[in-house]
Amino acid sequence: MKRLHFFVIVIFVVVSSCTVEKTDYEAELSTETTEYIEYENVTSITSGDYTINLEALNGTLYKGYNEIHLNIINTVTSEALQNADVTFLPIFTDANGNTSSCPHAYNLKYDATEDYYSGFAVFTSESDTTVSCQLFIAFQVGTQSYAINQPITVEEQTNLNLNMTAFTGSDNEQYFIALVAPQSPGVAENDLVVGIYKYNQPTEAAGTFPDLSQYSYSAVQDYTLFLDPRMPEASMGNHSSPNNVDLTMESDSLYHGVVNYTMTGNWTLNFILQNAAGETLKGTEVSTEFTPGIEGAKSELYIDILF
Amino acid sequence: MKRITLIILVLGTFANAQNTPIKRDSSDVVLDEVLVIAAKKNKIETDMKMAVSVDEFLASSDNISFIKRGAYAWEPLLNNMSTERSNVTIDGMHIFGACTDKMDPVTSYVETNSLSDIDVKSGQEGSMHGATVAGSIDLKRKSTAFGIGQTWNGAYQAGFEFNNNQFFNLGNVSYSSDKLVADGSISYRKAKNYTDGNNDEVEHSQYEKFNTSLGLAYKTTNLSSVRVDAIFDKAQDVGYPALPMDLSLSRALITSVAYKQLFEDKLIKVWDTKVYFNAIEHYMDDTTRPENLVHMDMPGWSTTYGLLSKVNLKTENYASEIQINAYNNLSIAEMRMYPQDYSETTMFAYSWPWVTTRYAGLSMSNSWDISEKSQLNFGGTLGVNYNYSKYIEFNWIFHPGASQEKTRFLPNLYASYKFNTAGFDASVGGGYGHRAPSVSEGYGYYIYNSFDRYDYIGNPDLKNEISYEANASAGFKNKKGGIQAQVNYFYIQNYIIGRILSQGSPMNYQSVGVKGYTSLDHATLFNFSMHANYSILDNLHWKGTLTYARGLDENKNNLPFIRPLSYQTSLHYSYQKFGIRTSFNGDLKQINYSPEYGEDETPSYTNWNISADYTFYIKNYKTVFQLGAENVFNTYYSTYADWGNIPRMGRNIFTSLKIDL
Repeated sequence: MKRLHFFVIVIFVVVSSCTVEKTDYEAELSTETTEYIEYENVTSITSGDYTINLEALNGTLYKGYNEIHLNIINTVTSEALQNADVTFLPIFTDANGNTSSCPHAYNLKYDATEDYYSGFAVFTSESDTTVSCQLFIAFQVGTQSYAINQPITVEEQTNLNLNMTAFTGSDNEQYFIALVAPQSPGVAENDLVVGIYKYNQPTEAAGTFPDLSQYSYSAVQDYTLFLDPRMPEASMGNHSSPNNVDLTMESDSLYHGVVNYTMTGNWTLNFILQNAAGETLKGTEVSTEFTPGIEGAKSELYIDILF
Repeated sequence: MKRITLIILVLGTFANAQNTPIKRDSSDVVLDEVLVIAAKKNKIETDMKMAVSVDEFLASSDNISFIKRGAYAWEPLLNNMSTERSNVTIDGMHIFGACTDKMDPVTSYVETNSLSDIDVKSGQEGSMHGATVAGSIDLKRKSTAFGIGQTWNGAYQAGFEFNNNQFFNLGNVSYSSDKLVADGSISYRKAKNYTDGNNDEVEHSQYEKFNTSLGLAYKTTNLSSVRVDAIFDKAQDVGYPALPMDLSLSRALITSVAYKQLFEDKLIKVWDTKVYFNAIEHYMDDTTRPENLVHMDMPGWSTTYGLLSKVNLKTENYASEIQINAYNNLSIAEMRMYPQDYSETTMFAYSWPWVTTRYAGLSMSNSWDISEKSQLNFGGTLGVNYNYSKYIEFNWIFHPGASQEKTRFLPNLYASYKFNTAGFDASVGGGYGHRAPSVSEGYGYYIYNSFDRYDYIGNPDLKNEISYEANASAGFKNKKGGIQAQVNYFYIQNYIIGRILSQGSPMNYQSVGVKGYTSLDHATLFNFSMHANYSILDNLHWKGTLTYARGLDENKNNLPFIRPLSYQTSLHYSYQKFGIRTSFNGDLKQINYSPEYGEDETPSYTNWNISADYTFYIKNYKTVFQLGAENVFNTYYSTYADWGNIPRMGRNIFTSLKIDL
């Protein structure tokens, strides 16, 4: 009987030892993507009696879409500045001294419950040794004007789900499409949120720097962004997913739709952008054929993601 | 898996604890008698072969046919319906395969030398252990009765089959005393590729299987006993020539603890309660197929625990069994695809997104002897089936907003009336029952079916399948022989089957499209079988079987995997210690095939088989030696249910030797 007991134990130790481990799905989803939900301080700038705390997700400004929060505090009274007109302008300067901006919210909105001014910026490039980025923040308290010029660092966005693209449309306007959400998609129906912006071409020559008219961007109104997600991996043969919903504008000035990802990995969001009049500004229909071994051709307008 | 180890260690200790000194007790007779009755002995062998696999044995049953994906692990079709519609259990315990592609039907996790019998019930009569449409297949394990003195019994069987170089060793031993009973078995089979009727090797048809089982029963009082059972099964390097991948390893651990209480002079005769646990793991392997464009890992796990408690009541002309059956199953299957550039990220999805199935049912079966000539059998089950998909977002891709939790009520009812007089017997019966969709039908996600080459998607909100069933049989028997005919007809509402979806695109590169499990308005199935035997001489016996089936969907199109007219006829001649058997069997041309489900017309075939055996004694141990050949003409054929028309085995000479110890 002892022998039997031993035998039983040995067998079941063998049984339990070399099992293939089950995949930890939640961990699987976060290997390529990290979801940041906490706003952390990027930098604090002091000007006169005021300290401006610039906050962004993960305390970092990335290439692509960034929501920003500005918290302005009177250092004397330790009270937050409320209901002021705060303006925000990011300026890139390249090695030749040429300046440009990127889609942003110029007039920041005051949020009374949270005591901050909120806005966004879609940084079109990272800052490095040749390209620098500065924020021009201005506000007025009573008659006193404050203007701050703060250099910042724009980091590379490693999460491709916050990827962006810039292009010139068939109307010769400059457009920007930046992914806003989801940061960490799942094998699921995902609510896809993007910002679509346009550079408002100046009609007059530049005045004194920084001349706002040279750096004007706006969210496009009532456009439609047609969506066809596909897997670019050749062996996946142009695989796609069902039940996707094209993106349309909602009250938050962002474009909302639904993208279904049928499995993790590389995906290409093929887009066609149409303006309110239904004219195609950029993008081409992609093949819906299943072509195992052959990578499907992408639309002229697309963003690659990975999760 | 750690949990399993723990349970097993506990079980092991428990088993050891049973080994208390054996006490003699003279008043054990009642228990012994009842247990002897319970331990019905049937030999697991077919007319042709005495050493068969579970599949070969099941194939000898009239209403079972098989989908074959290779030489191993055939999927049993009961009444021409696939395994979702039947209940396959081991001693009433529910077990669910861990493979999304049905490479591991429950029958592949047992071995013949640990089984005493296979109980096949057709239609709603099989609903005792849970909701069903087609019926039930219950694999009964060997369970030796308590004896008066100490006795040892055993058998050893070895054999070799020449076609695929299959070598097998099967051994089992049992010990019986008045307090303690032990049954043990161990087996090992290894086969290489088989060759078809054109003498071509069918690649990827090898297999290797190890199975062992242990059962220990201890008599706690005169009228009660405790029994612990465990089966461990391991198959590795199993080829599936009809599929684009093979199996690297599948493993099952099947355990139970049962308590049996007998009652004297009461209406209740036996109360038998069992708790069980089984865990199955299944790892597919496509690295053996270099032609595959995409390498995939496809592991699957299925874990079930459950409870079975039943009482048997008996009066003079009435017998009844009341049973509570509950189980919880968790099925998980993953797929991870590797890009051609291995430095790129892999692609992952669940093909079974952690699907829990819970079932609890109360069933009753009654048998009432109205008179000496007639009997009424009736019964039913009321079950509650609950499903939960942990990662429901996978299912939402095709079915947005589908329910994550789903509770279904599953009633099953049957009645039949039997009549016999002067050698004639007849029966009529009917049944009504619901079944819930299976895990794949409800929650499957991109399960590739290499038969019709579609990826299948489950639908969590499928309706219950509802079966209306009628059956009848008639027969005549006398000393010389008998003839028996059986028919049954199923009208199945909300018949679940895959239909092409207009949305989505295939994920598996061999696939041509996506099919979703859909409810047809109805489908109908008709099965007929006729069976006759006749003793030409005292030592020359003839047997014949004829079966026919027809399955139609709502538009009168053929259903897939319906057996064409098939026949079998055999002769058995015995002379002193020699026995000779020969048989012809075959199917006619499959005219009623279903192109919609990937079927094509399968030509007819006939097989001739022959075998001879010789019985002798080695030191008082009865020994039988058998030599035979299957498919003597070396016919090249494949049947209607051979996945992807893979050819069946050509001429196979088999030998086996069995010693009863």
